[in-house]
Amino acid sequence: MSEVQQQGGQESGKHKKLRAKKTSTHIDMTPMVDLAFLLLTFFILTTTFSKPKTMDITMPVKEHTEEEKTKVKASLAMSVLLTENDRIIWYFGQDDPTKPPETNLADFSLDGPKSIHKVLLDKNKLVYDQLKQVDDSVKRGLIVDQEDTIKRHKALVKQAEKNGIIVLIKPDDKAKYKNLVDILDEMLICGVGRYAIVDLSESEKELIKNAQ
Amino acid sequence: MVDLAFLLVTFFMLTTKFRPDEPVSVDQPSSVSDIPLPEKGVILLTIDKDGRVFFNVDGQQKRIEILENLADQFKISFDEKEKKRFSVLASVGMPMNQMKDYLAADEEGRKKMNLATKGIPIDSTDNQLANWVNAARRMAPMFHIAVKGDMDADIPTIKRVISILQDNKANRFALITNLEGAPGEEKPSVK
Repeated sequence: MSEVQQQGGQESGKHKKLRAKKTSTHIDMTPMVDLAFLLLTFFILTTTFSKPKTMDITMPVKEHTEEEKTKVKASLAMSVLLTENDRIIWYFGQDDPTKPPETNLADFSLDGPKSIHKVLLDKNKLVYDQLKQVDDSVKRGLIVDQEDTIKRHKALVKQAEKNGIIVLIKPDDKAKYKNLVDILDEMLICGVGRYAIVDLSESEKELIKNAQ
Repeated sequence: MVDLAFLLVTFFMLTTKFRPDEPVSVDQPSSVSDIPLPEKGVILLTIDKDGRVFFNVDGQQKRIEILENLADQFKISFDEKEKKRFSVLASVGMPMNQMKDYLAADEEGRKKMNLATKGIPIDSTDNQLANWVNAARRMAPMFHIAVKGDMDADIPTIKRVISILQDNKANRFALITNLEGAPGEEKPSVK
């Protein structure tokens, strides 16, 4: 703020002029600072720092004949059927129309009695424990604490374990996209390395109907 | 303090990017995956809650090339002005026969058309999304493909889009999600 000092009337004219010149060099900066802060708030509020995150999925090349389809070991194959109202129906083994498999109901809760998360962790214990070992080795300094190194180790573990479960995700037409992402997410959390999104067969549509 | 304020102003001004208005708003599901989406080189397919499909790709030059390729496939032609217009727009969800009107419309008109549109057709009889993906794959083979779906999008549409991507040999793609904390990783809930 500029202030002009009041002088007593006794001083000579020459003196007065000099003083006045000195004080006039101050500029009032208040409006500029106001503007600066206004711009600052505007840009802070309009900037978004969070970059969108993604989930990578790889689909198989479309097979044209029955023979080209990858066969999975029936004892390791876990089918997860997603249907309306966030419900899950799962079973182990082959989908055989003549001998319907024993089905179980589940939901997306984390802790509930029918939590699919618990089921997956339990069934995939073999792999999940090894993944935990990787985490332990990181803590003990056996593996360099770098994100890509850890990821590589984990990917190796998932690949190497041939007896881990294979999850076949089969979304029903009434399921929502959210369910699909949730279950894919659950694969990531539970360390399931081998999973695929598969179409429902006719007999499985029956299973869903019967389960309701 | 004033110096600091100006420093911050400059910083925010330089880091802020203004992007064109997206015609659809999508409520994407969340996941624990933390792979960031690349900033450049993304082919984005947006699926909203009504199952409408929109297409977007970044890079003005690439957009023009893709539109030219599509124009060839559909035997229509766009003049320079229309191409220029297309290059600065955001996602488009117009069937090809409405494309010219869409590009000719003003901002308000486009908004109205976006509300009324059914998205890019994906049925097997009129599979225009395949043409889009095909054009994009041909003109921008190195681009990443990302699918941004709404939480309530229905599975048949999603499956259809994935199958169209597979038909065009795009077997690897990303699903865009919001980040959420991993419940199973930090404190395992099983005993």
